[in-house]
Order: sequence, then structure tokens, then C-alpha cells
Amino acid sequence: MALVELYDIRKTYRVGDQEIAALDGVTLSIEAGEFLAIIGPSGSGKSTLMHLLGCLDTPTSGRLLIDGVDISRASNDDLSAMRNAKIGFVFQSFNLLPKFDVLRNVELPMVYAGVAAKVRRERAMEAIDRVGLMNRLHNTPLQLSGGQCQRVAIARAIVNNPKIVFADEPTGNLDSHTGEAILTLFRELAASGRTIVIVTHDNTIAARLPRRIEMRDGQIRLGVEAQVSNTAPLAPMPKEVA
Amino acid sequence: MNFWFGLLIGIKEIGAHKFRSFLTMLGIILGVASLLAMFALTEGIAQGMREMLAASGGVERVDVTYKDPSEELQDLAFLSPGRTMADVEALRKGAPLADLVSPQMDMGNVAVRHSNIKLRLTVSGVCPEFMEMGKFEIEAGRMIGQPDIDSVGRVAVIGAGVADELWPDNPEYIPLGEAIMINGIPYRIVGTFELSESDQSKRKREAGISAAQDERRTRRLGKRKAKAAKFDPYWQKNHTVVIPISTMFFDFRTAANADGSPNPKVDRLSLRVSDLSLFEETLNQVRAVLIRTHRGIDDFGFDTREEWFDSIESSVRATRMSGSFIAGISLLVGGIGITNIMLASITERIREIGVRRAIGARQRDIFTQIVVESGVIGFIGGLLGLAAATGMIHLLILISPTENAPVITLQAVMISFGFAVGIGVLSGLYPAWKASTLDPIEALRYG
Repeated sequence: MALVELYDIRKTYRVGDQEIAALDGVTLSIEAGEFLAIIGPSGSGKSTLMHLLGCLDTPTSGRLLIDGVDISRASNDDLSAMRNAKIGFVFQSFNLLPKFDVLRNVELPMVYAGVAAKVRRERAMEAIDRVGLMNRLHNTPLQLSGGQCQRVAIARAIVNNPKIVFADEPTGNLDSHTGEAILTLFRELAASGRTIVIVTHDNTIAARLPRRIEMRDGQIRLGVEAQVSNTAPLAPMPKEVA
Repeated sequence: MNFWFGLLIGIKEIGAHKFRSFLTMLGIILGVASLLAMFALTEGIAQGMREMLAASGGVERVDVTYKDPSEELQDLAFLSPGRTMADVEALRKGAPLADLVSPQMDMGNVAVRHSNIKLRLTVSGVCPEFMEMGKFEIEAGRMIGQPDIDSVGRVAVIGAGVADELWPDNPEYIPLGEAIMINGIPYRIVGTFELSESDQSKRKREAGISAAQDERRTRRLGKRKAKAAKFDPYWQKNHTVVIPISTMFFDFRTAANADGSPNPKVDRLSLRVSDLSLFEETLNQVRAVLIRTHRGIDDFGFDTREEWFDSIESSVRATRMSGSFIAGISLLVGGIGITNIMLASITERIREIGVRRAIGARQRDIFTQIVVESGVIGFIGGLLGLAAATGMIHLLILISPTENAPVITLQAVMISFGFAVGIGVLSGLYPAWKASTLDPIEALRYG
């Protein structure tokens, strides 16, 4: 069974007396260990799709299974628990807590998971080491560069060892050089077997990922996805980056 | 999320906005301070009154007073001899529930003289029971005994205040064996009573605050207040002069009535209830005895301290209620202030709340965090309020000195402090509910 399975997912919003279908029948499955991009112009429904996949929201209709758990009708608390245990988020604007230092920011998901303080510290250190920020443990986000902030955010996203990591325009607020470094980090994480979904409108990023899902008007543009096989090897990196 | 983490966040959040948090707490601080100060002041007054009540014999003391007989007996009222020594004898035999019976014949405005110093005092003829009834202690010598009464001895026991005034040169002098003239008749002093004073002046004296210091304070406070400050509720007790009741009768009462006949009536008849749980039964027993000695005429009533006691308690309660009400309004205003700031604070942190929700915080985790935060504001405000209360009490003592120093009881501290924390938590509920029901997606997008 796939890690994520969607069957005919619909999501409609009411704006005044008008119904707007943000997602209009999406069927999709994502296998464990995949590294994929969801692309599409703004308004195409890719953010809504990510919110559903990330258990931040529930669909209006359809079935959504993550790691075998049907979350289409899950309660608010169940969604929180799913997010905490199985999902990691990386945001465009990092969304670190400005008053906490790096260590505390990375520890935060484990606080809500009820992990003991000592274990929390150990695992946070491991994750911070993984993103290469051991020399910044006690700096606050305001003392870090954008790239460093995003590394902290990635450490925070992987610290609870989630099944799947969602990154929403992770390079959007970074210059191209720093952005490449962050992508390289994602690539390394993917290579070590982690499932990573990057949501972006930047085709040059998406083009380098093994699998792309293109959204248009609330639906997956068929044919585009078919071009890339699920099992295809990683696309070669451009020379100047590698 | 665990509670301690919430506490930590709360403290951090307060530390990050020190001045704003202080302003927020101010309402709570003042509320707690006025609540505790009010408790302390009323408790001080109540304790002073209770002390005086205890010094005059406590609740177990009952005075048999004269009362107009009921209407149908009024024409026969002359039959009753009134309260006399016969009542005392009858009560001692016939009312075992009253374990002390103390009669008293008073004579007011009596000249009490020694060498060239003359005082105008009330002199009382008493039995030995007088001492225990009035909670007197002998400082030197002895109390008037039964032999003095039987032999109609001209002996007297005087209070510390009388001794001080008759022998002003030496306050330490104990005038045992000295003679004083009571309305021109010489009496020998056989004993002196110990000085009675409030616990507070006792403390003051033991702490070595001298009369000179007191004098300076009095001068500083000005004349009018000085008078109030110098008022001594124990003056009367310290100016007691007692002689045997039989001597009182033979020396001063044999021709006391207008027609020259002797006056055997006692002016005061006090008794002590041995067991407070049998209070009513005791009164019934006493009534049954007295109705016989008074030949069926009910020309007596009971003056119980219970009513006094009740009136102290109820007036203290009333003061406390109105004071609490005012302090409560202050606390309420403080609470509204906290709610206001917490609402502003969560608006500031909508994004943070979104992030916390995205990484797995449940609604109740957010709720707890905000409530703990405002609870911490209440907690710290409460602590500062307790500190402010002590300052406020000192200020009150300075501007309006009273004999009854405010007393801070543990109970009052707990109540005031509990209120502060409670108000803190309560005022966090609405902001916490608002924060926890934010939609995570919208919260993440905010700002």
C-alpha cells in the first residue's frame, strides 16, 4: 500500500453564495521514499492539496489515507496527532519562533509529542547536526541568515522522524545560491530514504525532481505526470550546483 | 504539552514585555493589596475588640441586671428585695452550673487619697471571686479573702494605674501595707493588680519603645490625633480599687438611701457559665433560683457577652464584606486588563499559534498555554500585591494610627493570593478559547 492515497478528493469553499471548488476530483498516490514536486500556478489548488496532505484540513468529499489511516473524517485532535507524528512542514517564510533559540525551535515538535527533556535534546542535536548548524545552537532566528533559518526549519521538520515532509516554496525567500544549497539538503534527505514533497511554482526546481504533479484548475494535469516514472533515477544536477 | 513548559513560555512571554506585563498586573497588584490591607485592618480591629471582651471576662460571663418587672407584676414590685447578698448565697447553693458568682457594690466619684494626692475614682465592694471573674492578676500581696469579708476588714487592693498615680515618684514602688483614705476612712493596701494592656502595647513595651518615643510620636501627630492615640481602653481596669463587700456595706451603705435606711442591694451581679455548651441551661437554673429570692417578681435580666461578641463579629463581617466588594471591583478591573492584553498578545502571535498547530499542538495545548500565561500574570501580580499590601498597611498606620494594629492572617493572605491567581486564570479563558479555535491554515497565512 502506498504511503499516501487520495481517491476523488474534492474541496469546496463557500465565498458568499458562490461555491468555489479548490480541488475537483484528485486521485493520487505517493509511495514511501518518493521525492516529488507539486507544481502549478497560483490558484491551481496546489496549496489546498498540500494542506490536505499535511493534515491541516479535511476534504469536502473523497477518501484520503496517510500511512494507512483514513483522515478524511478525522477529528481535530487526531489531525494534530498525525501532523505531530507523521508529517513535517517547511515553509517559505521559515516560521520559526523568534523568541526561542535554534535548539528550542527544533525541540518544539517533540514537546507536543511528550518526549522527555533529555531525549528531546539529544534528538534535536542530531537533527541540527544533520542540517549542519551545530555552531548556531543558541542563536535566535533573528541572528541567523535566511538559509540558516530554513535549515533550522528543516531540522524541526525531520526531528520527529515523520513519514513525509512537505515543503511549501522552501526556496521562495532565498537567493538562488542559498536556494540551491537547501535543495541539495532536501536531495540528501531524499537519498537517505525520506519521503519529500516540494510545492512550488518554479519549474526549474521541479524539473530536477524525479516526479512532478502539475495542478491546474483544481485537478491534476494528466499526461504531465506520466512523463516521469515513479522509479526513475534522480535527475542529474546541473554542473554549477553539483 | 506539559504544564511546566507552558509555565516557562508564560514567564518568557512576560519577561519579553516587562513594562507591558507590569501595567497589566497593576490592577491585580492594587486589588490584592487593598483586599489584604482591608482584611488586615478589620482583623486588627476585631482582635482588639475580642481582646477587650476577653479581658472583661469573656463570653462565659453573664451579668444579672435590673429590669422592669413584667406589667402584671408591676404593682407587686415592692415585694422584691432586688439583687442582694441573699441572691449570691442562693446562687452559690442552687445554681451549680454557674461556677462563679461575684457580687459588687459600687460607689462612684469617691475621694481616694494618699498624703497630698487625691484621686476621684470608683471604689467597689467585692468578694474574692471578683478577681477570677474580671481576669485580674495579683502583682504583689494578695486578693481580698473570705476572712476579710467575715471580719469586715478595712483592706483594699488597687490597680497598677492607681498605684502609679498615688506614688508618682517611683513607678516601680509597690505600696503594700501603705494606708489610703477612702472618703476619709483609712484602708490598708494588701495587694496590687498587675497592669492590664492590649497585646499590642505589651509588645511595644517589651520591644522597648519608651514613653518618650511615644511622646514624640504624639507631638508629631498633633493634638487631635494625639488624643485618639492616647485613648486607653484599659484605663478603667487599671484604676480599680476594691474593698471587702461587707466593709463597703458597713462603711458606706448603712444610711445610703434617701430616707436614711441601709441599702443592701448589689450594683452588679456577675456569674460565670462553667460550660458554654450549657449556656441556656445555666441561665434557666439561675432564673429559677432568683425568681424565688425575688419572691416571684421578675425584676432581673441577663446581660450576656454573647450579644456583644455577635455584634463584634457581625460588624467585622459587614466591614469585610463592603471592603471585599470594593477590592473585588479593583480585581475585576485588573482581570479585564489581563483579558485585554492577552487578546492583543494572541493577535500578535497568530502566526506563532499557526506554526505550533502545524507541528502538532492540539487545541487544548494552545488553550493551556494561554491560560497558564495569564495565570502566571495573576500569580506574579498576586505576589507583588502581597508585597504592596504590607507597604499599604504601613502607610495606613502612619496616616491614621490606631490602638488596633492591622493583623495579617495566613488565611487572608491565601484568600487574596488565591483570588489573584483565580482572576488571572479566568481572564485568560476567553483569549485562550479564541486562540485555540483559530484555523491553522489561516493562522499560518496571517500577517
